[in-house]
Amino acid sequence: MKLIITDLKDFNLPVEGPHKIIKPQSDIRHCIGCFGCWIKTPGKCVIHDGYENTGIDMSKCSELILISRCCYGSTSPFVKTVQDRAISYIHPDFVLRKGEMHHKRRYRNVISLSAYFYGEAITETEKKTARSLIHANADNYDAQVGAVRFYRSVKELEDIAL
Amino acid sequence: MKIVLLNGSPKYKNSSSELLLADLKRCLPESAEAAETVGRKPEILETALHHETVPAEIMDKLLSADAWVISCPLYVDGLPGHLLSCLLQLEDALRKKEHPEARRIFIYGIVNCGFYEGIQAETALEILENFCEKTGLIWGGGLGVGGGGGLAMMNSPKPEKGPKAPIERELRAIAERILHQQTLENRYVSVAFPRFLYKMAAQMGWRQLIRANGKRARDL
Repeated sequence: MKLIITDLKDFNLPVEGPHKIIKPQSDIRHCIGCFGCWIKTPGKCVIHDGYENTGIDMSKCSELILISRCCYGSTSPFVKTVQDRAISYIHPDFVLRKGEMHHKRRYRNVISLSAYFYGEAITETEKKTARSLIHANADNYDAQVGAVRFYRSVKELEDIAL
Repeated sequence: MKIVLLNGSPKYKNSSSELLLADLKRCLPESAEAAETVGRKPEILETALHHETVPAEIMDKLLSADAWVISCPLYVDGLPGHLLSCLLQLEDALRKKEHPEARRIFIYGIVNCGFYEGIQAETALEILENFCEKTGLIWGGGLGVGGGGGLAMMNSPKPEKGPKAPIERELRAIAERILHQQTLENRYVSVAFPRFLYKMAAQMGWRQLIRANGKRARDL
């Protein structure tokens, strides 16, 4: 399954094969750092606002696709908040990977992580930061990195094949 | 000279971000003696952004300051979503012409992570730096702190000794730069505590917490 997380309310790009789209349908509440998704309801966020199951959705996907406005080299507040609320995809225990401390995987699926950033004036520095961010995410999800691309407008995204 | 210590953690209390700002604040008065020689008397304002909107009174404080120190946790290799939202609002406010003086504000960042290696906060500091580039603020430099999950348990009556000593040294260096309105290269530091013990202590902690919630360790 492809899991698409986007900040585009009117997302209507064609997607090939089974997929799920997480987009702004209602207000999202931000992660409060309570770790309830690890110690109270392992695997699921304790905030019930319709966005609590992303960690479980991630466990069922083979491709995670982020489609987001580029904000200072980061994903946008909505996409980032969905990611922040989904840390239950990984296990609280630590492992060492590439000489650094990361979280242990909770599930067996290996994700291919891609990101399509859009924005009018994305600088070269922001692009570099965004690539680092996606690679760091992949390290922590124990995932593989797919495409990381940049577009000047939402309209330009129409050309991408998902 | 007005310095705003800005806690960007979503937690209202007992966050490592708050703790690091308290430690930095303790370093500032000592450095203030040195700063008097350059004619700047620091006024330190403490505030926080726990939600995704910047209240008007905090916006005013920030835009009339000489320096901000943003302290926040590393969330999924970047800044917490709510803080990104606040930065976008600040960018909007700064774009308006009524705050031309705000362009001279120095921004310093302290990003703490639960991982042992402070370098894992590198991307989050770059995001803060990019925010400055976009808004015309001056990036003063930042500190990536590893071992953030254990800071609350590592308090020592002598901060220059014990597991937090390397962090204390870096905070003193930042305090000096803030008071002299100077920039520094981003720096990275970890607690002076063996990595394998830190990992072991964290894992024991998670097991205690899940048991306290009526579940078994294997439910983690």
